[in-house]
Amino acid sequence: MITLEFHDPSGAIEVKQPHAPRVAGLAGKRVGFVSNDQWQAYRMLPRLKALLEADFPSIEVLAVDAFPQGNGVIGSEETAALVKASGVDAVIIGNAA
Amino acid sequence: MTNAVAGLGLAPDAAMVTFPIEMFLPGSDIGPLDARRREIYDGLTRWRSAFDRAGDGAPPRLRVEGTSAEDALARFNHLMLINRWGDGLPLWPPTEERVNWILRGAAQSGERRLGTFPPRGGVTTVKSCAIALAMAGGRPEYLPVLVAAVEAFLDPESGSEALQAASGSAFPVVIVNGPIGPRIRLNAGFGCLGPDPQRPAGASIGRALRLLQQNLGGALPGIGTMANYGGLRYTNLVFAEDEASLPAGWPPHGSDRHGFAPGADSVSLAFANGATNIRRRGARKETPEEDALQGMHRMADFMRVPNMAGLAGYEHGTPGIIMIPGVVAQTMAGLGWTKASMREFFWEHSRIPLADLRRAGGPAWIEIDTSKVARESLALDPWPITARPENFVIVVAGGGHPTNSYWLQGYSPGVVGRPVALPVEFDRLIAEAERDLGPPAP
Repeated sequence: MITLEFHDPSGAIEVKQPHAPRVAGLAGKRVGFVSNDQWQAYRMLPRLKALLEADFPSIEVLAVDAFPQGNGVIGSEETAALVKASGVDAVIIGNAA
Repeated sequence: MTNAVAGLGLAPDAAMVTFPIEMFLPGSDIGPLDARRREIYDGLTRWRSAFDRAGDGAPPRLRVEGTSAEDALARFNHLMLINRWGDGLPLWPPTEERVNWILRGAAQSGERRLGTFPPRGGVTTVKSCAIALAMAGGRPEYLPVLVAAVEAFLDPESGSEALQAASGSAFPVVIVNGPIGPRIRLNAGFGCLGPDPQRPAGASIGRALRLLQQNLGGALPGIGTMANYGGLRYTNLVFAEDEASLPAGWPPHGSDRHGFAPGADSVSLAFANGATNIRRRGARKETPEEDALQGMHRMADFMRVPNMAGLAGYEHGTPGIIMIPGVVAQTMAGLGWTKASMREFFWEHSRIPLADLRRAGGPAWIEIDTSKVARESLALDPWPITARPENFVIVVAGGGHPTNSYWLQGYSPGVVGRPVALPVEFDRLIAEAERDLGPPAP
């Protein structure tokens, strides 16, 4: 038999931080949107806001444009700081395609 | 697009709800959102990452066994495809022996960290480059150019993080200046964009870069990269400027764009999303002046298109790379043209009348661009395709024949230069290449 031993070409991944913890439930929570304003986000995110408000009457869902919108700004530290300062419990990010 | 979170240092999974592309198109039925909203709610409340601990998941060594050398090689290649690590063409196994051979071309330790490859975030070292170069059929003397190209690629100024995943089929173009080009048999002449068995360096270096983009960066078609067409991604484009044919007074690209000293070894990396051959030469009885001017207009006409992807480089990048053969450069210089005056000409004559731009829906893209300079350019009519003439890249390459030039349409937020560092024993590597490959082609 011929044996070939070689390096795994996929390399290593560093996991530096865990994902944010999930909330126990959405009732009474404050939820925001971070939108890139692309791919029908202007229709889908308002629809999702309405669904959330219908399904969880005590929920507070911020306006879709409460934070800066657009691919060029939603990944910035400034936007992250605004989201944090808003006191939201959870954030929905959309839309990618 | 779970790659995107891995590149940020998060676990390589995410709470994500995906829908067929049809729902994201204009006029779509967004009813599926209602039907599947519980999945979104679960993402906010019940989802758990499959990666429950932080840390460095260094992969183990792999092995295959075969009844013969050929059988083992076939099994290795099958394994590469099963794991989505190949490109469909045969690969060399990156054995310890072969990788160590490649690492003789390293000017630094193999463990030297170059960064993390976006968007997946694979840890990238000099040894990672050697593994990819070994798989791509490369040689040790190619490694300095690959390492410099990877350094340029990983520079945030290149825009690689977004372009790796984007739908616009961007591919890196690596322009090499300095004596290292001819020394490693990197083509600058006929067929410089390959393939060329006489000067195979560009194919191996570019293929290795592509393997890194895929295996460390996660740019798998339809999974990690939404590039509709891919295009030129087997080997990307890696070539040298034909410095021997540069007219007197014409600076090499590395000096012109990045300020490297003439004669210094360097790479320059930009992204393109198109490649077009232009019949530059006149057909009949033109004077030298007419031939030159008509050719310049013909090149500018190819540039005068609403390349909205090119907005990414409107301010700091490039609208594209124009390649002209050395014999043409010599003629143009004899008529008084310089790289700078050619750039001015291209900038002026590639402008698009605003009415044409409006007809094509261009202003909407320009209005949402993150660059203030780009947005304000809408006040200009005709609209310049880039903010300034200096953004055009002109490279002398392509052989001693005057008929064609070549336009690599830009999709390049930046043009990033890096010096090439050579190992102490580089001369010995070149001598071994001559032993293995025979004397260089004339």
